[in-house]
Amino acid sequence: MPSLQRYLRSIYRVGFRAWWRQLNYIGDAKSGRFVGQDQFGNKYFENYNAEEEVPGRQRWVDFAQVHYQASQVPPEWHSWISHIRKDPPTEDAVIAASRQPWQQPWTESLTGTRGAYKPYNTVAPKINAWEPKVSPRA
Amino acid sequence: MTLLPPRLLVPVGIFRSIAATHARAFPLSRRLQSTHTHKQPPSTPNYLESADGLISDLTFRKPRHETTPRKFDAQGNELDAYQGGPSAIDKAVHLFFFTEILRGMWIVLEQFFRPPYTISYPFEKGPLSPRFRGEHALRRYPSGEERCIACKLCEAICPAQAITIESEARLDGSRRTTKYDIDMTKCIYCGFCQEACPVDAIVETQNQEYSTETREELLYNKEKLLANGDRAEAEIAANLHSDHVYR
Repeated sequence: MPSLQRYLRSIYRVGFRAWWRQLNYIGDAKSGRFVGQDQFGNKYFENYNAEEEVPGRQRWVDFAQVHYQASQVPPEWHSWISHIRKDPPTEDAVIAASRQPWQQPWTESLTGTRGAYKPYNTVAPKINAWEPKVSPRA
Repeated sequence: MTLLPPRLLVPVGIFRSIAATHARAFPLSRRLQSTHTHKQPPSTPNYLESADGLISDLTFRKPRHETTPRKFDAQGNELDAYQGGPSAIDKAVHLFFFTEILRGMWIVLEQFFRPPYTISYPFEKGPLSPRFRGEHALRRYPSGEERCIACKLCEAICPAQAITIESEARLDGSRRTTKYDIDMTKCIYCGFCQEACPVDAIVETQNQEYSTETREELLYNKEKLLANGDRAEAEIAANLHSDHVYR
């Protein structure tokens, strides 16, 4: 059975500790090339060996946070892990040229927390309550 | 080949020319001529004269005569060995439907021993296109100046009427938006806004992971859209660059 062979091979490659961590997060024993690490500490791996990983499972992320969430992947790595770009952002010349000095740091989705976005009006209100002004008596 | 009647054995291609010239000498054409020609009606078309060797003969569609003769005993009763038994259709149905069950179960068994194609999201993600239309963002020029000039083309073309724009002249005289609201609960993600935009200001990023816990968090205003663009500018610009040759 090739999948059992792949599983045991992955355990042999990554070691017992990493296998236990993978079992708690991905739920599968995966081994591959370490591609890079983003500014939040998420680690990215890939394995394009067709006998070990089926298409769609060839790139994966090891989240740094315990409460992981898909939006913790920054946009540059998001385009790599979604197979939009071939090269990781550490090697991609187009991504490096597209980066701007005024860019803001990426934040994960803060919905459900106190930092969640709350909509507000960006223009002055057009309808105001009447504020009576008393002209001074002569 | 034994199933075909001999008059279907029409020489095609190079055999046709050989058969036409050496009609008597070539064994293939001799078979065509010899065995059953006396049974065929005289009006059989000459297949050798047809251009492509294809056959169009309606006599094939006539019902065949009974090949096995019906047998009768001395009293005139018909002797049928299959009298009272299951019909041929019944037997065929039992045979094919039962093997169909087995064939279906065999496919299930094959899939059981194959690795699953399940992608374990969010650790692994399915492929996205650089044209993927997700969360909206307002972009800036490389100088940091915001691109949107409040032409309101996106507001005009939006089929769901999800965009609301108000504009005003800035202190330096340039026209900018003061209000750029997108109701993401109305948006149908058709991408018409980014097609209509003359300055590539409003784009739909590849981010699809922006689900919220409340509905009001999906009523985006200008600051939120600009912040989206400021965070994801590298990805947006790289995607536009990879797609610019097709536009």
